Amino acid sequence: MSLYSAIKRAKDYAAERFPIEKLNFHSMVEKKEVPVHRLSWGYYLGGAALFFLLVQIVTGLMLLFYYQPTVSDAHASVEYISDYVVGGALVRNMHSWSSSMMIACVIAHLLTAFAMKAFEKPREITWLTGVGLLFLTFGFGFTGYLLPWNQIAVNATKIGLQSIEQVGQYLPGQMAQWPRAIRETIQGEAAVGQATLSRFYAIHVIVLPFALAALLGLHLFSVQLHGMSRGVEDPPRRQEKFFPMFLIKDLSVWGVAFFLLFLMALCLPFESFSPYPLFEAFDPNGSTPDGIKPEWYFYFVYYPLELLPFGVILVGSGLAMLMLLLTPWLFRSTSRKTLRILALVGAAYFLGMTLFGEDIYHIFKGGGQ
Amino acid sequence: MKPRERRLPLLLALAGFVWTASARAYPEFQTWIVKNSGRSVNCAMCHAHPDGPDGTGYGQIGRLTSEEMERLNFARRAIEPGAEVQSPILNKFGNLIVSRLGMKKVLELKLDPSQLPDTLDPVSDLDRDGIPDAQELRDGTHPLKKEDGRPWRLFVNNAQRNLSPLLLTAAATAAGLYGLTRLLHGFACAARAERRETEDSGEP
Amino acid sequence: MIDAFLLVGLPYLALAVCVIGVIWRWKTQAFSWSSLSSQFLEARQLRWGSTPWHLGILVVLLGHGLAFAFPRVWESLMSHPTLLVIAETVGLGAGAMALAGLVVLAFRRLASGRVQAVTSTMDLVVLALLFFQVLLGVLTALLYRWGASWSTTTVVPYFWSLVLLQPDSSLVADLPPVVKAHLVGAWLILLAVPFSRLVHVLALPLSYLWRAPQIVIWSSPRRAAKMVREQRVQESRREFLKGAAGVAVAGSLLSLGVLEKLARFFQGPKLAGEMETVLLTKRLHRIRMTAEEQALQLERQKSTRILIGRLSELSSSKGKYFIDFNMAPALAFLDANGLPLLISAKCTHLGCTVGSEVNAQGQILCPCHISYFTITTGEPNVGAPAKTPLPHLEWVVVDASGKDLAHRGSSGAIQGSLQGVPPEACSVYVARPTEEAS
Repeated sequence: MSLYSAIKRAKDYAAERFPIEKLNFHSMVEKKEVPVHRLSWGYYLGGAALFFLLVQIVTGLMLLFYYQPTVSDAHASVEYISDYVVGGALVRNMHSWSSSMMIACVIAHLLTAFAMKAFEKPREITWLTGVGLLFLTFGFGFTGYLLPWNQIAVNATKIGLQSIEQVGQYLPGQMAQWPRAIRETIQGEAAVGQATLSRFYAIHVIVLPFALAALLGLHLFSVQLHGMSRGVEDPPRRQEKFFPMFLIKDLSVWGVAFFLLFLMALCLPFESFSPYPLFEAFDPNGSTPDGIKPEWYFYFVYYPLELLPFGVILVGSGLAMLMLLLTPWLFRSTSRKTLRILALVGAAYFLGMTLFGEDIYHIFKGGGQ
Repeated sequence: MKPRERRLPLLLALAGFVWTASARAYPEFQTWIVKNSGRSVNCAMCHAHPDGPDGTGYGQIGRLTSEEMERLNFARRAIEPGAEVQSPILNKFGNLIVSRLGMKKVLELKLDPSQLPDTLDPVSDLDRDGIPDAQELRDGTHPLKKEDGRPWRLFVNNAQRNLSPLLLTAAATAAGLYGLTRLLHGFACAARAERRETEDSGEP
Repeated sequence: MIDAFLLVGLPYLALAVCVIGVIWRWKTQAFSWSSLSSQFLEARQLRWGSTPWHLGILVVLLGHGLAFAFPRVWESLMSHPTLLVIAETVGLGAGAMALAGLVVLAFRRLASGRVQAVTSTMDLVVLALLFFQVLLGVLTALLYRWGASWSTTTVVPYFWSLVLLQPDSSLVADLPPVVKAHLVGAWLILLAVPFSRLVHVLALPLSYLWRAPQIVIWSSPRRAAKMVREQRVQESRREFLKGAAGVAVAGSLLSLGVLEKLARFFQGPKLAGEMETVLLTKRLHRIRMTAEEQALQLERQKSTRILIGRLSELSSSKGKYFIDFNMAPALAFLDANGLPLLISAKCTHLGCTVGSEVNAQGQILCPCHISYFTITTGEPNVGAPAKTPLPHLEWVVVDASGKDLAHRGSSGAIQGSLQGVPPEACSVYVARPTEEAS
């Protein structure tokens, strides 16, 4: 009896998430509608992230034609792309800018989806795949950062991997050795070297793209299946056809995004924001230049990591991750107004740490000494 | 004047061979650039190796061939400006400075490094990024790397240089946006006509 | 002489006649100010002739006008190969279209009896003038390519010399006869304006461009509804056309810019000899450095001690970098007792390489997260991100004959002394950690 009811409940659950009667072109494309209200701009962010992902795929494939993933040649091949290949600097700069823009869009997408309560039943799977995509995107950022094999890349990766090992001091007994084993497994050898580069390359170019394609497929499929979430408390006065109206507007946003990306990539080298010694070839026997930092989108964990004890960060980020994964159930009955305030707080934290993290760091640590 | 001129290269040569406390050849310049620009730099701004001339890496004194050693000694003898110096421990920019100023002037400038940018050619731009070498020195950016420069300066220079592709892309974007807006309007019209039709046919 | 007349006299004559003639016609026969439409006599051929002709000639005139009006801007635009190709292609295409339209119009005028009835001699003259003028233009574009560029130093200054009343025909004197004929043709057409239907050029119905379309509606409500619906359908069709055109223009502009770049990206760079040498040298250096790195590793596998250098090379204020047995960077200093002091330079916080310069407090700095380590003890400063000290390494000092003089064991105890051997004769080795060696 109880087994039967459990199975029945599971079946009902799946039926609600994947309604068979909606699995057709008519209801997924022709009938789908997008609500029009004052938060409607949030509906464009996911599409913008998708656009930048497409740019990443195209430019990434182009870079793949020249890049060489070996310790001796990686930096030289990147230099070759920038200095000798026609349009190579543009393609590479586009890849850098587009990655940053994609991550900005993904984070804004996360916050607006949260504020609109887009995780509400039956959209739990959409939310979960979205969180998975967020982690994959950060994974792309972390692995791609190492590939040019310059000073900042190798040293920042060392620091990032070393912090895994620090978890060990909070684990009891034999388990204390596990994080070290995990780090060395990721690295492939005792120090960051050729094995690490090969692994990161494989992960960046093959593993993550496949994982992303699978998750993204499921994500987009469920978005089309369940339609756009309502977004606001009171029912919207107007609806807009997804096809072709919203799609055309989405394409217009893509057009503007492309122009902005092209302008930035053509006129402003991504590397000009940091001092040049960071982009010299990594030299294992030389000194480490000043100013080793992760990419800006990791500042929100990096600066707290610098300021607070490691244990606090560990517990904090663990809780945050758990909260992200459990959001559809934790905030099931929270009003959209409260969610909006929470999202604003989250956005303020992220922006504050990204823009003023360094200043905050200097205030607490005293004048950069 | 003459005996002093002779002694200088000798001193310099000695300074190069002996392992001294200062691995950076002329840290005065580096210190000034960092202080003036607020951007960290290393020896690779003028030298061939990021850690300066001392050591056994490429572009460091410990690894020079005899032919390179000769070029180094020639550079050390370039007391007066105008010699075509090609020192193996310097990069193109470092060699330009020595060729233009001569070692004597360079050593004098050590006392007041802030004078260095003003003594350089104000229009020379080795990496052709649109920012003159002297300005790059003031900014603490690399005069030989075209992707290194103050972001705003680079943006303006590159935008001017790439005006035609930018205009082309802007025109394409504008045309595309126009087209999409028209399409949107067209679909709206078609939908209204369709609605009208169903309403009409609904009537008896 | 004939040149001087055709290129300097004729233009002024034509201009004067044109201005006076137009004023005269406006005063005396204002109602003849028309293109003398014959649409109601014959419409089908007219549509296929008049539309391409007007569209083509407008584009061509716009190009000519831009080049004449803004020579500087035009010149700078035309110095970009892509834009030059675009301008030439568009110009030639528009010219060809105009020519085709003219041919249809001429055929219609000669073939249709009804139209012939209203055709005057002047109409035929104008038709012939325009036909030859456009033909000459197209020929110029085909035979003497890149006119959009070369005209900026010949025809444009000639035109401006006329405008500024300092005529200089030498600027165009050396041009080929086809181009000169094109110039003369232009002045002849100007001359003909007041005496022909060409006068309608001066009365462009510009307000058509923005005024709302007027819809003539039947008074019956059923028919009115039908009309409105048809209007909607037509409007949507027009919008779709415009939309498709916009997207197509965007697509073609982008592909024009991208395709050529893309092809060259995959083609790879064609390097000059010197650049190739620089590149190969750099690659060779990198490969050698990697090889040296691996040689170091091998050496650490095989031997129990590794040479750092002479004792006299060490200093107490600046460390000498070397690679220890864990393949991590380490620093060698001179201790206060005249013996070496070897310390790991791999920061115990997150593994950055610690700096080599000793400050006044006897500390070295890790630049990544600002930890100061006292070299004599290895301890980090209070409050530093690093919590554990940098370990000291074991070392051996050997004299010139290869005899061990002193060494530091794993416990940190130093055994032996220099025994008066000068530091120049002593070599310092880092020893393999004893636990590992056993």
